[in-house]
Parts: sequence; structure tokens; C-alpha cells
Amino acid sequence: MAPLLEIREARRSFVTPEGGRLAALDGVNLDVGANEFVTLLGPSGCGKTTLLRAISGFESLDSGTMRLDGADLTALPPFRRPVNTVFQSYALFGHMSVARNVGYALEVAGVARATREAQVAEVLEKVGLAGMGARRPGQLSGGQRQRVALARSIIAKPRLLLLDEPLSALDRNLRQQMQLELKSLQHALGIAFIFVTHDQEEALTMSDRIVVMRSGQIEQIGTPREIYRHPRNRFVAEFIGETNLFPVTIDRVEGAEALARTAEGVEMRLPGKDRRPGEQVTAILRPADFTLGGAGIPGRVTRAVYLGSDLYLFVQPLAGGPEIRVIARDGAGFDEGAAVHLAHDPARVHVLEAA
Amino acid sequence: MRNPIGWAGLTAFSLAFFAFIYAPLFVIIGYSFNSNPVNMMIWESFTLDWYTGLLGLSDRTTDVSNRAAYVESTGLMLAALRTSLTVALFTTTISTVIGTATAIALARYRFRLRGVYNGFLMLPMMMPDIVLGIGLLIFFVSIGMNLSILTIIIGHCTFLTSYVFIIVQARMAGLDPALEEASADLGASEWVTLRKVLLPQLAPGILGGALLAFVISMDDLVITYFVSGTGDTTLPVFIFGMIRRGVKPEINAIATLIILASVVIAALGLWLRSRKTD
Ligand SMILES: Nc1ncnc2c1ncn2[C@@H]1O[C@H](COP(=O)(O)OP(=O)(O)OP(=O)(O)O)[C@@H](O)[C@H]1O
Ligand SMILES: [Mg+2]
Repeated sequence: MAPLLEIREARRSFVTPEGGRLAALDGVNLDVGANEFVTLLGPSGCGKTTLLRAISGFESLDSGTMRLDGADLTALPPFRRPVNTVFQSYALFGHMSVARNVGYALEVAGVARATREAQVAEVLEKVGLAGMGARRPGQLSGGQRQRVALARSIIAKPRLLLLDEPLSALDRNLRQQMQLELKSLQHALGIAFIFVTHDQEEALTMSDRIVVMRSGQIEQIGTPREIYRHPRNRFVAEFIGETNLFPVTIDRVEGAEALARTAEGVEMRLPGKDRRPGEQVTAILRPADFTLGGAGIPGRVTRAVYLGSDLYLFVQPLAGGPEIRVIARDGAGFDEGAAVHLAHDPARVHVLEAA
Repeated sequence: MRNPIGWAGLTAFSLAFFAFIYAPLFVIIGYSFNSNPVNMMIWESFTLDWYTGLLGLSDRTTDVSNRAAYVESTGLMLAALRTSLTVALFTTTISTVIGTATAIALARYRFRLRGVYNGFLMLPMMMPDIVLGIGLLIFFVSIGMNLSILTIIIGHCTFLTSYVFIIVQARMAGLDPALEEASADLGASEWVTLRKVLLPQLAPGILGGALLAFVISMDDLVITYFVSGTGDTTLPVFIFGMIRRGVKPEINAIATLIILASVVIAALGLWLRSRKTD
């Protein structure tokens, strides 16, 4: 099945005030399926907003193609693109009532008043704002404004909804609630969402697929699980979730296992597949992949932080090297200064070919 | 913390300050009801004669011996008022439209010499009125244009456009550009966006600019003095001419009416503004 949105070799650069050229989009290829929740994730300035604005038409491409349902998008002005946006600032029209804000797309399209009002009521109901149509945006809370912006952008039933950090202005609780609501709304509407965030936790919870970007390029596209368990490079590994990186040299391979050690002498066990002695690779282990036991890497706890039921430990390996971050499910008794052994299952180790 | 002496001093100072500003106005209002035709500074009794006299309805005039001439001068004054209002209405409309359009264009489109253009728009405001007046006069004469109500309107528009521009521009600068993008995103063409989003958002600024233009146009003396012909005179120019022939009690009545009109316009402006802001 052909994808809903197809972006090929999209490039866009800006002339910086310093006189140089900055590639905000540097050969981006992306396909988005008809009912997919795709998240653009990356550090500030990596080109997420630029990509979104190129899709909505507020930014032009220097080169490359964009097709929606097979039809060329690049030639269309923003107001003719069947794509709607939820702006980070919400961009609600302060001089209009909530109902008129929400019905704006229909008003502009010339839909009859009675039909419009019925649809506005329906959409307001859907986002949990039933009965608030008569208010002005200025009389709403931040979360309610966010819902109005959402309602306004889905009323015309776009094929694709673009959301640029829509939750960043909300407090943590509201944010988590909205994450779930957005996700179920997307399911119910059956339309594709492209969602921008630089909160990796948000990306992991909500997305069908995550697109990790860096300096105008896509580093990796994959499901949250793929991105988390099998990052393609150091950048992705470090950007998504807490990570321990061990540059190691393979000592020997014993069947399904490979034995390796860091320059400082910390010993690790890796999956043996495709490994050769003497090879230099990077081993990646998430904090939750360690178990505290009698065997494994010997170390000393330098800092212990309680995170609800879990215990978050910083462990200094006795052999030396950087501290290892560990989440212990049942970490009672491991206070600062305690001697521990960090054991790990070799199968949980993800190996990057480059050291 | 409160220092009673300091507070008393501050209160006294404030009262003195307001007295300084408003005393002349109250003096004029008081004089306009004084029936003494010879010396307005000596109170005789209360009268509305100077008001009714303005409309040619009273027998009591300063110049009883020459009633015909007096009625004529009242007619001239009403004609001047009519000219003033006509000029103000036209200039307000023209300068509001041009000033607003310019402010939008300068804020939303990038083009060459944008900064220079911006500077030139401020210039007429900085320029002394007398320079502007002489400049306009020389210009009209050299292109062979007869001085008339038209030259007054053109003259006023040259500097009032700048006032409107600056006020609308300030409002424009505070506007989130995402509003217009949101409108386009939801399917509105540029024209629809202008009508449904941009102009309503700018409305308080446009209204403020228009009121200011109206008041300044009604009030302008120096520039109008240069560019008005013998036929069409505005109220300020007419009053100026009257005063040069000695201050008559009718002047106080006119001044009081103008004060009243100004207060009404200012109140209207404030009311419209408070209605706009939620
Ligand atoms: N109009 C512009 N002119 C010049 N440079 C620009 C312009 N818009 C964006 N850039 C540059 O392009 C790069 C990408 O910007 P973009 O807004 O897409 O980043 P982002 O990923 O959305 O970042 P953030 O997470 O901070 O929102 C940045 O380095 C930015 O400085
Ligand atoms: Mg951004």
C-alpha cells in the first residue's frame, strides 16, 4: 500500500546572519502511513519545525519532492493543502468565540451555518469542551486552549495532522493526560499524526514510529522498541532514554557469548553472533538491564536516588572508567558506599559496530 | 512607612499640577457664562446669550450697533466648523486606510529599502509644523494648484498617515504571526485572512489611530493656516483670526463647546478600547 505522505530528498537551507548557510533539512526521506502516529524527535535546532512547516506549506523546499496521496504538494499554497496544524502557541483567534474558532475552517469553506454548528458541537464534545462554545479563548485555561486548537484543526477532517510541540506549555500531569487523549483521538479519527517533541519519554509513549533527527538529517526511523533496544548509532542511543555505553575490545568468543573488556578492564559479556576476537565495538546497556547480585562487574555505589519504588544507583566500577547508571527494582540496602556486583544478561546487550 | 508630611506634600503637588493643567479650561468655561460684554474678567451674571448668539438667536451681541455684520460672522464660523468636520472626515478616512495598509505591508513583506521607507514615514511627525506648512504651500503653488479645501485635506493626510501608521504598526508588532498562518492552514486565502483575522486583530489600533487623526486634524492650526485659501477656512484658523481682532465673549462659548466635543470623543475612544480587550 502506498504511503499517505511521501517525502524524498527534501532539502532546505537558510542563510544565517553570520553569513554562512545552514542546512535545516539535509536530504530527508520519510514515508507516513494513512493511520500512523509518527513522532519527530531530536535536539533543538535539528529541523523538526522546518520539516513540519515544509509539509504545511509555510516553508518552501530548495529541492526534493513531497507527495500526499500521490499528488504533488510542493506546488500548493498552504491554504490548499489538505493538512492541518496544531501550533505550539495554539494561535487561537482572540476576537472570536471558541465555537467560531473551532468552526473557522468550515466557515471559510462556506459550509452552511446549521451544519457548521452541529459539527462544532460534535467536535467540542469529542475534545471534552462541550458547552464552552460561547467563551472567548482568553477565558480558558491552558489545557482548554490546547483542546480548542486541537478541535479547530480536526474539524475539516484533514488526512494528516501536524502537531508542533503541542503539549510543551502544559504541566506534567495535564501533559500525561493529554498524551493519552491525543493517542486515542488519533485512533478514533483514523488520520495520520506527525507530532514534534523533544521529550523522548513522550515520543516513546505515543508513537507508532519515531523519527530521530540531527542537524537536518534523519538518524533513525523505527518503532519505539526498535529505537530503544536497537539504536543505530551512539547519538540515537544517547538521545533516547538513559544509556550506559561501553567501548570494548572482544577478548574471545565462546559459542553464543563473547567476552569483552573496556580499556580500564571492566569485563562484559556480549552476544557472540558475528563477533571476532580483537574487534572493537560499543556495548549498550540500559540502566534497567543490570541486576544487583553476587557476581558481575564489581563496583561501589557513589549515589543512590529513590524514584518511587525503584532505586536509581550510580555505580563506580572498581576497575575504573565512567560511572554506570543502574535502576534496581528492589534495591533496599544499597546505600552510598555499598559494594555491589552488577550482573547482566548478554542477550540484553546491544552492540554498535563502531567503537 | 507612611510619612504624613510627605503624603500631604505629594497630594498638594498633585492638586497643584492638575490645577495648572485644567485651570485655563475652567476659566474659559466660566467666562462663557458671564454676561458682562465689555470685560469678561468681571463677573456680572449668568447667561447663555453667547451660546444662543453663536447660532444667531440672541439679540445680545458684543457689537450691537452692527448686527448684520455679527450675523454674518456667525455664519462664517459655522461654515468654518463645517469645513473642519469635512476635512477631518476625509483625512481620517484616507490616512487610516493608507497608514494601516502601509503598516501591514511593512510588517509582513520583506523588500529592498524597507528600513529607509520606515524612516521616511516617521519624518513628517518629527518635522516642525511650520516647515511642513511652508513646504506644502510652495509645492501647491509651484504645481499651480489653487488653495482650497482639497489642499487642506492633502496637507493633513501627509502627516496624519504617519500617526496612524505608527499606532497600527505597534499593534502589528505585538501580533503573533502564527495567527495568520493558522488562518491559512485552515483554508483561508490571504484576502479572507485579512478580513477575518488581521483587521479584527488590529481593530483597536486602527480605531485609536483614526480617532487621533480626527482630533489632530480638527485641531491643526499651523499647517492649515498655510494651505487654506481665502474661501475655505477651518475652525482653528477662523478662531485665530477672530482673536487677532480682540477676544470676544463668543470665543469662550466656542472653546467650551470644543472642550465638550473633545471629552466626548476621548470617552468614546476609551469605551471602544475597553470593549475590545477581554
Ligand atoms: N527563517 C529562518 N532563518 C534562518 N534560519 C532558520 C530559520 N528557521 C529556522 N532556522 C534554523 O534552522 C535550524 C532548524 O530550525 P527548526 O526550527 O526546524 O528547529 P527545531 O528542530 O524545530 O528546534 P526546536 O526543538 O528548538 O523547536 C535552526 O538551526 C534554526 O536556527
Ligand atoms: Mg521547533
